[in-house]
Order: sequence, then C-alpha cells, then structure tokens
Amino acid sequence: MTLAIETSGLTRRFGSVCAVEGLDLRVEAGKFYGFLGPNGAGKSTTIKMLTGLLAPTSGTMRLLDTDLGDPERARAIKQRIGVVPENLALFDNLTAREYLTFIGRMYLLPPDTVRARCQELLTMMDLAGEETKLTLEYSHGMKKKLALAAALLPDPDLLFLDEPFEGVDAVASRMLRDTLKSFVKRGATVFLTSHVLEIVEKLCTDVGIIAHGRLVQQVSMAEIHAAGTLEERFLAAVGDGQVEAQKLSWLED
Amino acid sequence: MYLQHLRTLLWLRWRLTRNQWRRGGQVNAILSLLVSILGLGLAVAGGVGGLLIGALALAKATPQATMFAWDGIVAVFLFVWLLGLVTEIQRSEVIDASRLMHLPVLLREVFFLNYAASHICLSLAIWVPTTLGLAFGLAVGRGAHQLWLVPLLLAFFFMVTAWTYCLRGWLAALMVNQRRRRAVIMGVTMFVVVLAQLPNLLMNVWRDDTRRVGAAVAHDSGKNAQVVRVCTLANRFAPPLWLPQGAQALQAGRVWPSLIATAGMGLLGLLGLARAYQLTRRFYQGDDRRKTAPPPVATPATKVVRGRLLVERTLPLVPEPAAAVACANLRSMLRAPEVKMALVANVVVFVILAGGIFLKHGAAVPPAGRPFIALAAACLTMLGLMQLLFNQFGFDRDGFRALVLLPAQRWHILLGKNISLLAISLPVFVVLLSLLTVSAHLGPAELLQACLGFCSVQLALGVLGNWLSILTPYRIAAGSLKPTKAKASSQVLMVVASMFMPLLLLPLFVPPLLGFLCNEFTKVPGTPITLLGAVVLLGCSCLLYGCTLKPLGRLLQRREQRILLAVTSEVE
Repeated sequence: MTLAIETSGLTRRFGSVCAVEGLDLRVEAGKFYGFLGPNGAGKSTTIKMLTGLLAPTSGTMRLLDTDLGDPERARAIKQRIGVVPENLALFDNLTAREYLTFIGRMYLLPPDTVRARCQELLTMMDLAGEETKLTLEYSHGMKKKLALAAALLPDPDLLFLDEPFEGVDAVASRMLRDTLKSFVKRGATVFLTSHVLEIVEKLCTDVGIIAHGRLVQQVSMAEIHAAGTLEERFLAAVGDGQVEAQKLSWLED
Repeated sequence: MYLQHLRTLLWLRWRLTRNQWRRGGQVNAILSLLVSILGLGLAVAGGVGGLLIGALALAKATPQATMFAWDGIVAVFLFVWLLGLVTEIQRSEVIDASRLMHLPVLLREVFFLNYAASHICLSLAIWVPTTLGLAFGLAVGRGAHQLWLVPLLLAFFFMVTAWTYCLRGWLAALMVNQRRRRAVIMGVTMFVVVLAQLPNLLMNVWRDDTRRVGAAVAHDSGKNAQVVRVCTLANRFAPPLWLPQGAQALQAGRVWPSLIATAGMGLLGLLGLARAYQLTRRFYQGDDRRKTAPPPVATPATKVVRGRLLVERTLPLVPEPAAAVACANLRSMLRAPEVKMALVANVVVFVILAGGIFLKHGAAVPPAGRPFIALAAACLTMLGLMQLLFNQFGFDRDGFRALVLLPAQRWHILLGKNISLLAISLPVFVVLLSLLTVSAHLGPAELLQACLGFCSVQLALGVLGNWLSILTPYRIAAGSLKPTKAKASSQVLMVVASMFMPLLLLPLFVPPLLGFLCNEFTKVPGTPITLLGAVVLLGCSCLLYGCTLKPLGRLLQRREQRILLAVTSEVE
C-alpha cells in the first residue's frame, strides 16, 4: 500500500488556540479522500500545512513518500502536487490565459503543451470568452474555476482542493466532478474539503472527519454505507447531541 | 434617528478601531496615541497662536490687508486639505453602509454619522481651532462685532467638508468598476502629486520670472492696482474666498456682507450635502430617479489571441522559471496603476524639481561636474522606484500564495522579480538621462559612465531590495501605494532604509571623483579613470549580486510563510 499523504502528530497552534492537534492522517495513493469537519474544525489549516502555506508547530508530514521536514525536498515535491487554496492564489493584473501560462511555465511544461492545456481548460471552465478580463474583475465563482484550472494544468499526482465547489455553477460543478473522477481513475489522488456532504458521498472513496482539531474518524465510504449514511456518521462524529440542545426557545412555543 | 442606532453604530466603530489597534500590536497603538497627542497639542498651540496673532497683529491691519491675510489662510488650508484627500480617496467610511443595508437602519442615519465622522482629521483638528482663535483674537482687538467671523468660519468649513464628501461619493460611484477604480485613484493621486509639487515649481522654475515681473510691477503702479482689482474680484465670486471677503467687511465695521457670505456658504454646503446624499443613495441602493435606463450595450466579440503573449516569452541565458516570473511580473506591473503612479510620479517630480534647475542652469555646469550630473539619472530612477524595489512581494497580494505553492527554486523567483523591475526602471532611466543630456550637454563618455552606474546601482540595490522584501514585507492595497497592516518594525526599517538610501548611492560617485582628482592633481586624463572605475564598480556589484542571490533564495524559502501572512491579510 503506497501512501500519498501521511502525517504523524501534526499540530498547529495560534497562540493559545490549538487549531490542529496531533493529526495522524493516512491517505492511500489513488484514493478520492474527503476531509470533513464543522466550521473552524481545522480543515483549511491542515491543507495549508500539507501544501507548505503554513508551518506546523510540531509533527511530521510525508507527501508521495517524501518527507516535508527537509525544505528543499518539500519544494521539489510541489512539482507533483496541485492546490486550490482557501483564498485562491491569483494575480489581480493577469488574464486567465496569462495566469495559466505562467503556472504552466513554472511547472516546466513545454510551451506547446501549456498552450493546448490552457485552451482546453479555459473552454472547459467556460472562461474562454473572457480573454480581455483581468482576474480582479472576475466573480468569485470565476476565480474559483480559474484556480481549479491552474491546479489541474500540470497534471499532478496529488490534488488538494479546499472547498472546490463553493461558488461554482451547476454546469461547471458537474464537469469538474467528472474531471476529478477520471483524474482519480488514472491513479492520481485527490484530497478535498467540502461542506456539501452529498458531493463528498458521491465522489469520495475515503473520508476523514476532523472536529476541534482532532481526527475523529477515518473510514472508507464502503464502511459508511454499510452502516448508514455519511450525514448520520458525520453528525455522530461531530456532536449529534448538540442539534437537540441547540433549539431556539422562542420558536418552541 | 433612533438614539439606540446611533449609540450602536458609535459602539461598532469603537470596537472596530479597538480591535484593529489590538491586532496592530502595542507599538502601533503607542504610535497612534502619540500622533493623537501631537494633533491635540498642535490644535491647542494653533488656537492660542491664532488668538495672539488676531489680538496683537491682525487687529491693527487695514481691511484690505486683512482680506489678503485670510486669502493666504484659505489658500494654505485648501492646499493641505487637498493633500490630505489623497489618503482618503478610496471611500474609507467610518461605517461601511453596505454592511448595514439589510438591517433596520436608515441610510440617512449612516450617511449623517459618516459625514460627521469625516470631520475627524488632522487638518481640521488644527485649522478649526487656529482660525477660531484668530476670530476671537480679532474680537478682543477690534470689538465684539468680529465675533460674526465665527459663523462665517463654520459656514466655510461646512461648505468645504460637504463638497469634499460629495466628491468622495462621486469618485466612489465611479470606482464601482474595478478597472476604472484604479484609473481614478491613479488620476487623483497624480493630480495631488503635481499639486504638492506646486511650491517647488514656483520656487525653482518661475521664481526668477516672478522676480522680474515683480520688479516691473513695482515700477508700474497701474499694474499693481490691476492685480489688487483681480484679487478683489476673485474674492467676490469664488465661494471659498467669501470668507476673506466677509472678514474684510467686518474689519471695516460692516456686518451685512459677512452675514450674506455666511448664508451663501451655508447654502452651498447644504447643496453639497444634498448632492452627496443623493450619490450615496445611488451608490448603495441603486436609486437613480432622474436617469432613464441606458441603452443596452452590445457585447464585444471575443478577442482572438494572436501571436505570443508576453508571459510566454523566454529570455536568453535566464532559467525558465525565472523568465516566467519576470514576464508574468512585468505583465502584471504594466497593468497595475500603482506601478504607473510610481513611474509617472518619478518623471513628474524629476521634471519639476531637477528639470527646473537643469534646464535653467544646465549649460552652466562645468565639464568636471558633468560625470556627477549624469549619475543623477540613475539615482533618481532608483529613488523613485524604492517602494517597488524594497517591497517586491507586497504588490503580489494573493498572488504570492501562487509563488509559495510553486516548485520553483526561490532564487529563480528573486531573479525573475529583479529582471521585471529592471524592465520597468530602464525606460525611466533612459527618459531621465535624455533630459539630462539635453539640459546639461552630456558627452558620450558621461553617457557610458551613467549607463554603467545604472547597472551597478540596479544590481546593488537589487540585493538590498531582495533582502528587505524578504525581511519586512507589507501588503499594498490594490490600486494604490498605500501600505496596509504594515508592522511598526517594518515601517521603522523602511524609514531607516529610505533615509540611508542616498548614502548607499555614494559609492556610485567614487569613479567620477577619482577622475576629477586625476584631472585636477595629476597628468593622467580623468575620463578613462572614471570609466575604468565605473567598470570595476559594476564588476563588484555583479559579484555581490551573484554571491547573494542563492543565499537570499534560501532565506526567502525559510520566510515565505511569514511573508504570505503579511502580504495576504486584509484589514477591516
């Protein structure tokens, strides 16, 4: 069994607040992994640490059999991963095609490949008609689609997606789901966070649930389906009892 | 207005300010407190000073002299006021109305609160007590009727602030479109840059002419009287000058002109405020009852991309990732209004400051001075681009996250950034050098030496720029040169670097100095020595740059997460 992601005791503190505590994550290569959790549970912090956007307070991380403790190796492994971060990573003053070209060049792809993939991605994301617009003029959904295109462009072995479907229209969402499925089918790994349980249930093969910075569940979708639904499992893991407790007094009368 | 709403909105503003101070750290809080205390001290000093000047000096002046004195006060106030406007040009309202529109709050409540809060600024805090002190001083020196100056002054300030608020609202409405927003900010900033240079322009370019004109006028009393007549006429018809007009009348013992001026300015102020409210309503609620719907605009056909994009270009001898960063960064900078602002301001300031001097006296520069003058182009270019050079990641904002995620060697990123900056600074240098060549009659040797000096300074300051960009990054708000969330330590380091940058440029002047000494004290010709020195300096700069690039790349890699935090965080 080859592991695409492996963390051990991964911890991140912000002052006295512990955002992620002792995370032991194991994601097999070729899996579609859904990382779930309520707001503020530590999902984005985990992705930021795994992708090098945030330094962990303690713990170890391995991506695609490479230890991220060594800064030079951590940089080199980025050649094989694609990321859609929470707050995106776009340059305001570039057009979509320019931005994708820049990303392609930085991944050392041949110019013809960059051109061809840019065109395909822009068409797929329905951004081809926006050639003259700068990214600062894009809506949130368009920015998200462009960030997704940039993550897919280098054809990475491991893809990190932080809320990839948020703000994306239904047509693009469908197309994106199909793309990600075929992406996984050919051996790549996808690690995504989402609040939409239905999407995770449809797409993912494995699920991890994080609550209050701790990994509380790490199971396959088959196991979940054998015992019920993802929503039931999720609510049980993050505090089903709270739902009953959190009722509004003035609506109960 | 419900009192509870007002109380809640004031509480909201206070909490936002307090939280912002907390996030800024203790040093920032102390600095803000010091500025507030300084402002208070200046206000008190202004009030007392005004009182004394009014009672002791202005009280004895003739009505006409009084009018000219108030003319001066109004002119200086408006100048300072306009300069202050540039920092407020992006509608930085005390309470962002768009965040309250879904609540049971009336827009006019927020509007009036924001308008009232727009008075909290340093220039008004100093000028209002100073001018009121002057009015009370005049009342002490000339009699109680001078107290009519108080409503006159208040009407003046009301008129100015109301129309300023209206202007800000109009600009904010214009800036809804993101591209136009940046163009507006750039245009207004450039206007203020030119305005701020007016005193220099007067001093350096027109001073001699005005002296001559002044002498002629002194000989011709008729012309003198004409100047006074024009001034008086301007005071009668230009609304901001109704204040001096009213003050003149009061000095002459006539109250009615002052009352009319008060009423006129008050009415104009009300008109400005009404217009500002109308614009605010249109801005936040899309309420435009006057206008008919615009005709539908045909969607332009999709532009077909032909040829190679700038971001696709390769650079000879430059590694591919560095070339990609250089091209993308250049493309981005060429579109960024903040970069255009820096460039245009550079040329404008040079033309106004140096141009005034060199165009007048350039021909008088002795040959020995020309090698030094030639280097001014390189120095001014780099001084003008200091903010771009010393904070290379601050302009990337969220784009810096892309750089962190990339697998590229970090020294490639630095190299790419430096190359793109060279592409920006080179045209500025060429323009400045051409101006100098024309004005100071530079020869080929001086031009060559200036080019070598430019390369040296570009490389040496590139090292310093890389180092400072890594150590003291701060976010630059989109479309402006305004730092946001800059740490106190970053600000201090930037100020120190700016202060000592001229010293860092000193080695540039060593080769021409050697050449000069050779010319003066030996039989060795100075020009070859100067050129040789410039080549040696360039060699040293190349060595310094080459030796530091990779270590700085490693430093960037170690600190990139901290830089990311600094350049991507928004402030409320």
